[in-house]
Amino acid sequence: MNFSRIFHNLNYAVSALLFLMGLYTVTVKPNLIKKLIGLNIMETSVFLLIVSLGMIPDGQAPIVTNGVRPSMMVNPIPQALILTGIVVAVSTTAVALSLCIRIHEKYDTLDAFKIHGRGGL
Amino acid sequence: MRKIMVLAALVVIGIVLLYAVGKMPPMNSRNTPDKTHVVPRYLNEGESEGGAKNIITGVILNYRGYDTMGEVTVIFSALCATIALLDREKRKVSRSGVDASGVRASVIVRTVVRFLVPIVVFFAAYMILHGEATPGGGFQGGAIIGASVIIFTLVFGLPESTRRMPLKARVPFESIAMLGFLAMGFIGIAFGVNFLTYVLPGLHGSLVDTIRSQMLMVIEIGIGIGGGLVFTSIVLAMVREDEYELQPDIPQP
Amino acid sequence: MSVSAHHPVLLVAVPLFFAALCPIWGMWRREACFPWALLGVVTTGFFAWSLIGKVTSTRAVTYNAGGWRPPWGIQIRIDFLSLLLICMITGVGLMVLVYSWRYVGKELPPEKITYYYTLVLLILTAMLGFSITGDLFNFFVFMEIFSITSYALVAIVGGPRAVRAAFKYLLMGATSSITVVLAIALLYSATGSLNMLDISNRLKTTSYLPVAGVALVFFIAAFSVKAALFPVHVWLPDAHSIAPSPISALLSALVIKMGVLGIFRILFTVYGHTFSDLSSTWSHVAGVVSWAAALAIVLGSIMAIMQRDLKVMIAYSSVAQIGYILLGITMLSPLGMVGGLYNMLAHAMGKACLFLVAGSIIYKHGLRRIEDMRGLGRTMPVTAGAFALASLSIVGLPPSAGFVAKWYILWGCFQKGNFAFVVIVLLGSLLSAIYCFRVVYYMFFAGARERGATFDEAPLTMYFPAAVLSAGTLFFGVFAGLVIPFLSNACRAVLMR
Repeated sequence: MNFSRIFHNLNYAVSALLFLMGLYTVTVKPNLIKKLIGLNIMETSVFLLIVSLGMIPDGQAPIVTNGVRPSMMVNPIPQALILTGIVVAVSTTAVALSLCIRIHEKYDTLDAFKIHGRGGL
Repeated sequence: MRKIMVLAALVVIGIVLLYAVGKMPPMNSRNTPDKTHVVPRYLNEGESEGGAKNIITGVILNYRGYDTMGEVTVIFSALCATIALLDREKRKVSRSGVDASGVRASVIVRTVVRFLVPIVVFFAAYMILHGEATPGGGFQGGAIIGASVIIFTLVFGLPESTRRMPLKARVPFESIAMLGFLAMGFIGIAFGVNFLTYVLPGLHGSLVDTIRSQMLMVIEIGIGIGGGLVFTSIVLAMVREDEYELQPDIPQP
Repeated sequence: MSVSAHHPVLLVAVPLFFAALCPIWGMWRREACFPWALLGVVTTGFFAWSLIGKVTSTRAVTYNAGGWRPPWGIQIRIDFLSLLLICMITGVGLMVLVYSWRYVGKELPPEKITYYYTLVLLILTAMLGFSITGDLFNFFVFMEIFSITSYALVAIVGGPRAVRAAFKYLLMGATSSITVVLAIALLYSATGSLNMLDISNRLKTTSYLPVAGVALVFFIAAFSVKAALFPVHVWLPDAHSIAPSPISALLSALVIKMGVLGIFRILFTVYGHTFSDLSSTWSHVAGVVSWAAALAIVLGSIMAIMQRDLKVMIAYSSVAQIGYILLGITMLSPLGMVGGLYNMLAHAMGKACLFLVAGSIIYKHGLRRIEDMRGLGRTMPVTAGAFALASLSIVGLPPSAGFVAKWYILWGCFQKGNFAFVVIVLLGSLLSAIYCFRVVYYMFFAGARERGATFDEAPLTMYFPAAVLSAGTLFFGVFAGLVIPFLSNACRAVLMR
């Protein structure tokens, strides 16, 4: 475990920790909305990781304007990837919330233990 | 017991992830594989080949346009999924502007929202149209439109929202993002080049660039309107006004 | 350039077009959605089948979307496995769609019908796009389309159990999806490319191999959830049993195969088998998957035997059959791999048939428990006969396609000298015989109580697809020679990389 590299790649390390926190929330918290928030935290952490990949020192936005040379621009691919990723995350959350609305109608609760019985999930 | 197992699993995953972070290329440096392989061509030729000053727009719509077509399909399928689960909103003949406590929003909120929503929509249109030259683009504009509809619905209630955006007008335009992509893609096929190619053969000189920019613009606007309407329809379907008890209008001080 | 050169992308563009317009038809006339969807699937099927000649004569058919060569653009790459899958998807999809007409007309509230057909068209589009793409991020995007539509299709019935099952499916599915993105990010940081074959090349010279190794582990874990491999299969029994029966057929027959394809593409197309420096991680991962698959065969079959509800039993049977498929694939013998992939075909047809039969029984009589199936052999002979024929394939008896598949898997186990797996495969067949033939017994040999012997079959559009699918399991068992030689060549090539 190369600790100095981990501290240098601080964004990546924080992203990993956020991913774990999100995963914890999804698995352990009983409230369905909290699980969805955990899912969103996981998704955001991955976006953080992806965007941080593109950083360069003194980087500029990849938009062709006066005074910005291509070698100064940050990597555009991660930004394109997370645009798609954010849309996908929003779509999943929308469907999940619709399911929560229906679950609340049928079960009158949003507690996973009450809904699923002994196991929860 | 279950919590301990989960925590143990998380510790293992955490160690694996941090190990990977330790082995990853150094952050904020210029020589990593991801910046030296594919990216130089995007940055150098992005404006001339891609057709947009905003290179990210060029990547999204031109180089990786097929992916973006998939992405608008994701949004559309989220809409279909939500409607399949919740059914379309029903026009209520209820008091407008009631929230869960049955009280109408205050006059300050109502006035400010009524003033701001058109400005926000105008800004969204700017975002969509200027996405080629400034940060922005179709999705961003669509999200702004969706947000403005959300606040309007929250403050003024479902019947007012539905009156301004009736269902029969919305449904055909929800698919417009995908239809825009398909139309531009089939134009390419009609001219004999691959799907979603914007450089059409048989055109002269500057016409090539113009047609390319127009095609990109059509797609961009399609994404903006389609995305905005999808968010709108999802929100309107989720509003459950029939569950709220209505109280008489409390006189505002 | 003639239109036929564009068939690869039309496989996705055409059903997408039909899906985009379906809600508009539905707004005009609800009954118009079914013919529109049918037209869409038939047209797409035409494109899929027209590619058979081209793909079998060359190694793979490629198509660059947008005209950009990879890795700057997205490339569609149809190799033999992709071809097999697109034919399965269009074929089974067509049968399920025809079946849906009557079933959905009765079992779903009318306002959901338009979006049912739209979602089915979308899920077929997504699976087709997923099977043919050669770009890793494109892979993820199409995966999300079929995932999101499948969550909704499970819950479309609307009852409490349905929404609960769909939510569990969504949580596990969405978690695995975001893990895929994480793995893509790690792999991108190590190689700088998103094209599968290009990544494979770049991995040979990258200096960030450990990152790629971690990415491999995350990929396989995530796709295992999608494929419902033991022990992350827990979402499947609830979701597949409570969904409307044509959707159960679609999910079990096709959607979980997408998870299998994910594992296959990651292990063999992106990472490659003989690739040196990662080989120990790679072998460990493949080994773990093969043992999990073996456990899936045994435990899935045991759980199936213990069920009293027909659809839950069939769902657990899917868990077991996925075990066969993944065992064949990760066993790393050419014969085993042929068997595993052939079982994908056999299981798709057989399992779809079983679910359609279960649906016909629910449609006609509202019965779900196995003991209530008495005498159905006489009143619904075609439906029950289809069940019996498909069961042959699930168990693995000659001359069915399932037999061919499991035979190859057995030979692969012998070739590798792994006798524990031989025992497990045989045990799996024995257990499958127990749960399948129990149902057949009730249908044909148990006394028919009050039911009498009058012919009271399900509607034609419901028993005909089931019959066609079961005949398919027979056809591809007898005429396996149509597919096996190409599959063998493809598997040998894959294992040489």
